[in-house]
Amino acid sequence: MESIDRCLIDAHLKGDTTAFSEIVRRYGDSILGYLTRMAGNREQAEDLFQETFKRVHEKAHTFRGGQFKSWLFKIATRVTIDNARRCRRVKLISLNQNLDCNNKNEELSAVAVADSHNPSGEVIKNEQTEQVRHAIQSLPDKQRATLVLAYYQQLSYPEVAEVLGCSVGTVKTQMYRALRTLAKKLPDVGEGLE
Amino acid sequence: MKYHLTEQELIEYQFKLASDDRLEGITGHLQSCAQCRKDLEQLKRKFASLHLLCEETKVSEDLISRTVEQAKSPVKTKILFRKSAWIGAAASVLLIGFLSLVAHLNKQTMPAYQTDRQRFAKEPKPTTETIKSDVKTESLLADRFDEGSSIVSRPSSLVPVEEQPPFAPASAIELVVLPRRENVQLTIYNSADLTLVRERRNLTLKKGWNWLQFMWANALIDPTSLSLEPLEQKDKIGIQQLVFPVRLRELGRWLIRSEVTGQVPFEITYFTSGLSWRAFYMGILSQDEKTMHLQGYVRVANKSGEDYDNAQTRLIVGKVHLLDQIAELARRQYPYGRPMWPFRSLDSSGVAGDRRAGDRLGIEYDAKNISSELADLEQLHRKEIRKEGLSEYFLYTIEGTETIPDKWGKRLLSFEAQDIKVKSLYKYDEERFGERTITYVSFVNDKEHNLGETPIPNGQLKIYNQADEQRHLSYVGGTEIKYIPVNEEIELNLGPVRLVSIEPILMDFKTDNYVFDERNNIVGWDEEQAWKVEITNTRTLPIEVEITRGFDTAYWTLQAEIPYGKHDATHARFKVNLQPRSKRAFTYTVRTYRGVREESLTR
Repeated sequence: MESIDRCLIDAHLKGDTTAFSEIVRRYGDSILGYLTRMAGNREQAEDLFQETFKRVHEKAHTFRGGQFKSWLFKIATRVTIDNARRCRRVKLISLNQNLDCNNKNEELSAVAVADSHNPSGEVIKNEQTEQVRHAIQSLPDKQRATLVLAYYQQLSYPEVAEVLGCSVGTVKTQMYRALRTLAKKLPDVGEGLE
Repeated sequence: MKYHLTEQELIEYQFKLASDDRLEGITGHLQSCAQCRKDLEQLKRKFASLHLLCEETKVSEDLISRTVEQAKSPVKTKILFRKSAWIGAAASVLLIGFLSLVAHLNKQTMPAYQTDRQRFAKEPKPTTETIKSDVKTESLLADRFDEGSSIVSRPSSLVPVEEQPPFAPASAIELVVLPRRENVQLTIYNSADLTLVRERRNLTLKKGWNWLQFMWANALIDPTSLSLEPLEQKDKIGIQQLVFPVRLRELGRWLIRSEVTGQVPFEITYFTSGLSWRAFYMGILSQDEKTMHLQGYVRVANKSGEDYDNAQTRLIVGKVHLLDQIAELARRQYPYGRPMWPFRSLDSSGVAGDRRAGDRLGIEYDAKNISSELADLEQLHRKEIRKEGLSEYFLYTIEGTETIPDKWGKRLLSFEAQDIKVKSLYKYDEERFGERTITYVSFVNDKEHNLGETPIPNGQLKIYNQADEQRHLSYVGGTEIKYIPVNEEIELNLGPVRLVSIEPILMDFKTDNYVFDERNNIVGWDEEQAWKVEITNTRTLPIEVEITRGFDTAYWTLQAEIPYGKHDATHARFKVNLQPRSKRAFTYTVRTYRGVREESLTR
């Protein structure tokens, strides 16, 4: 796995234009999933997705081997943090607006209207999904990144530590804090949810 | 007493956050405790809702192709803008401080933005308030930059800089990366463990507040001497402060306020210790010992913990007055402490370990001395060393640049002078040298002696003699020379010589002219000594000998066969020339006056 990544990076550095698109295809799904959960909406996640791979394109020469996936997630995390900071600053002067930076409510209502074959069940599920999304979005950046990487992206704690540039102990602490916060905010979905 | 697992323990168990031993203990407890099993199930149901966001995310081909295309497009403007975290802040300042300017700008640019909105903005949102409009303007501008549009640079006056400086960088991402040195100049003082380093680096700044982190781990830099100066656009860049973050050692952060975005050359200056230089010399006497070929070298040694590549090196001769030792300043425990840390307390406590490290370095240096000298000889190549006088010091600038890695020394040729007229003199002075004859070579640091361009720094001199016509060398002697100003004579002590022997022999001794007081005690008398001095020259060269004789009193008279000079109150000097392989003797009689007889001499 790693050797394939290395070959692709080397080929990209040597000017092989297809190598980079192969890298995007290979990790596109997981990176987009990560960014979507981090950003809170698909549209912004796609912007961050492009920005992430643009940085990969520019910084490929700095990849020194090891886990390419971790390196990639590290870049995606930085892009997300940069974006979050920018959004926060915009938010600072927009306190009197009802819409937040990510405009999640609009998106939620759009989804609820679109999936209407079982209106009542879907609306409840969408409501709960939005509650979960909101709960995750309310976490501090590091806790959110830790949770998304470990829970949704299925990275091991040492891999998460490598991505976030901290110790495994710190990752576990961040994870526990995130879960402790979520335990108070998450809806109880009952047995029916699988 | 039965206990139940806490929420923390249940979370740690469910998400495997605890250690293996702890997890095993919790598993054992859960098997025996129904209540905790129930609590765990409840927690699981709670966290089951996280699965709602587990839907698979698929990347469309369109997004992949857009991403690949965008990645290949020119990057610089986007990177700079994306990294900038000041858009929001700039917008707020725009709103508050430059409302009229913004209004004017909107009028002029809205049509273009409308077009751009179709091109770049995916879902334009309605602007219901002025405040939103400003934000939108900013984001649209950002989008224009992001997409690599024709707007390459934006008038900087449109984005005022935040007035309030940040307390600290929000994260490591906000720190300006310190790039490699463009060039570096070292000014090394030999009278103190002191080197002034001037580095030039090109920093990439963003408009607004920038943090520059400067680290000097394992290098002996005096943090109190750090200085940063922009070399260009000085009116648009302000160095606000240098902070030493608590608990971080060997690290300083500059806060820079910039009104420009892009690369700016900066000069960083600081004092460091561990760099030193010393001069040494090699003189080759001609066979007749009338002329000397003198070569001067400087050896620059680097034990500062830092490599200096292609450094312009300047060497200072002269004393400097230092309030503190730079090495101590560099090693002190907390660079952010009081500026004038009391040294005695450091000596007795905190720096003890470091001092031992310094001692260790010293030992290593001695052990490596010979090998490094040999390495120097191998590296030796001639470089001109330019010399110029300063008000109190003398400055030697080594031509070109030198790479001086840490733990290395480098020897450079300082000057070379041929046919320096020298004078050999053999001295005999029992009070100074015992019963040995010492060889001296002297010359003057002036133009007549093919020298005199600069003072000669103190250093070690080794003198060789041409032993034969084949120019084989024999070692004559070595000495430390002191700083020789221009037009000053220097006399070099080359040590004892066996081929010239001088032997004073006491031939006669008598006392007379006793003076008694009323009780018949002796209160004065004269002593008369007759000496014979035999001089033997077994060398094949004619020599000049200087014999100094002391009389223990300032009241003496002398009668000698040869001329003499009164050297000082208590000494007389004889100068004798001898032919090769010859002997010569002379006699003298000295009368000394003791007690009240001294008065007879003064009368």
